Amino acid sequence: MSAPAAAGDWGFATPYEDVSGEVAIVGVGESDHSKASGRTTRQIATQAARRAIADAGLEPSDIDGLMYTPIAAEFDERAFREEFGVRHDMWVSRAGGGMVWAGSAPYDAALALRAGKAKYVLNVFAVAWATQRTQMVGGPGESHAQELFKQNLEVPFGWFPQPVYFATIARRHMHEFGTTEAQLGAVAVACRRHANLTPAAVMRDKPLSLEAYLASPKIADPFRKEDCCLISDGGGAYVMTSRERARDLARPPIEVAGVGLGNSVTGVHWAEQPAFTSTPQVFAAPGAFAMAGLAPSDVDLLTVYDPFTIHAIMQIEDIGFCKKGEGGPFVEGTALHFDGGVLPYNTHGGMLSHAYVLGIAHVVEVVRQLRGEAAAQVPGAEVGIYGGYTGPQASTLILRRGA
Amino acid sequence: MQLRPEFPLPDVDWEETREFWAAAARGELCVPRCAGCARLVWYPEKRCRVCGEERFTWVRMSGRGRLFSWSVVRHAFLPQFAAKLPYVAGLVALEEDPAVRIVSNLIDCAPEELAVDMPVEAVFRPLEFPGVERRVLAPMFRPVEAGRRR
Repeated sequence: MSAPAAAGDWGFATPYEDVSGEVAIVGVGESDHSKASGRTTRQIATQAARRAIADAGLEPSDIDGLMYTPIAAEFDERAFREEFGVRHDMWVSRAGGGMVWAGSAPYDAALALRAGKAKYVLNVFAVAWATQRTQMVGGPGESHAQELFKQNLEVPFGWFPQPVYFATIARRHMHEFGTTEAQLGAVAVACRRHANLTPAAVMRDKPLSLEAYLASPKIADPFRKEDCCLISDGGGAYVMTSRERARDLARPPIEVAGVGLGNSVTGVHWAEQPAFTSTPQVFAAPGAFAMAGLAPSDVDLLTVYDPFTIHAIMQIEDIGFCKKGEGGPFVEGTALHFDGGVLPYNTHGGMLSHAYVLGIAHVVEVVRQLRGEAAAQVPGAEVGIYGGYTGPQASTLILRRGA
Repeated sequence: MQLRPEFPLPDVDWEETREFWAAAARGELCVPRCAGCARLVWYPEKRCRVCGEERFTWVRMSGRGRLFSWSVVRHAFLPQFAAKLPYVAGLVALEEDPAVRIVSNLIDCAPEELAVDMPVEAVFRPLEFPGVERRVLAPMFRPVEAGRRR
């Protein structure tokens, strides 16, 4: 990784070797998603892992690689052994989980598979933030409140938590590019419509019209409640293996065609990010497309990590589906809908309306779409993307139906 | 979550931002300048990410700038802010270097009168929270016109 040389340089791509076509996702699983449920992270992760392994037609004893994140997780190799009653050695990576890592984990898995360190790698992530919030612990705000620059330069002024600073970013985007509240609303409405069709979605039974969106009160102007993600208990998991082994398994293999990782040097200090209305997708996406030999016009559906509506618009721009600043007009009307939209987007409802499980369910959804078994199925989908995001980093994961 | 008892007041003794809060207590807005490349560095860095210098001098700013962006907060995400609702939190790009954006509150102005890039100036007001005895003087910003009207 090279450091930027000028103050205006705000990020860079992590150099990745070409792993196109080497690894396939062969099993996916989600836990039950819910509001506060009393479940623990470990219970949720175990349920998701069990379902993903079964979906692949494998047994827990076949899983010899485990990826997770120490952030917001209580599921490690010890938990895996205890929950599944296995004792074998495992390759373990803490560079897995949700968020940006739900997109970059297949790269690390590909290198491990190539080196023979593992044959079947499970990536798992779960949160119990809805339950924990009722106990006044956990959640997205807590992790940011503990960051000392935020605690001493941002929180005292109430520029906290995430809805407030991303509302500030949204207002700047509106000023620079003319983005409107109705365009933010179009994102929320598309996600809700997809959730209404998705049995596992937390907001399955709650429709949302653009009129109702626009009539609702603002909580952190320009954001309304419906611009903001849910807080949920839930999780997901997926199983990866080499393309060769994938051919012998139960499910149609979904290949990793390309993957990229971008970094922002200003991290979670959005106030000082030079490109205020951009995401590190500008650094992640070009490498992923180059590795895949594909272009945005080849993509049949997009999922992105979507804590707020503005993140759809910014990442659609930054991944390259339109020019910077044109994301607002791009998402208008039914452009993001699964049935006939220009770019079917978060077809399970995303974190706004499916569940706030931090991106792991997005990857599960892309796999299901490319298998042709999604609830809001995009007809004939062959190429799908997950855009992961944490602020400090973004990942672009391009998946393709296997040959 | 383990937080200081005076949260959400800043910890004015934390070394990285101690000079910022000491300046505010004097009614001054100060940020560090890199001794190597002379750029204003915000947020403070232990090592300049442009030139690698580790020495910085805190310098006084005029307090003038332009409103970069903001949110009108109408929901108490933290209970300590409930009595302040609605309030305006946002970013001011400083006149000396617009790349330096200070997080603060916009005051003495109705939210609907705010506009991106409007000229603002620093005034020093106490941060105070229910149940927290201590108060901390902080730079807040108001429209320049509002200052002239007084």
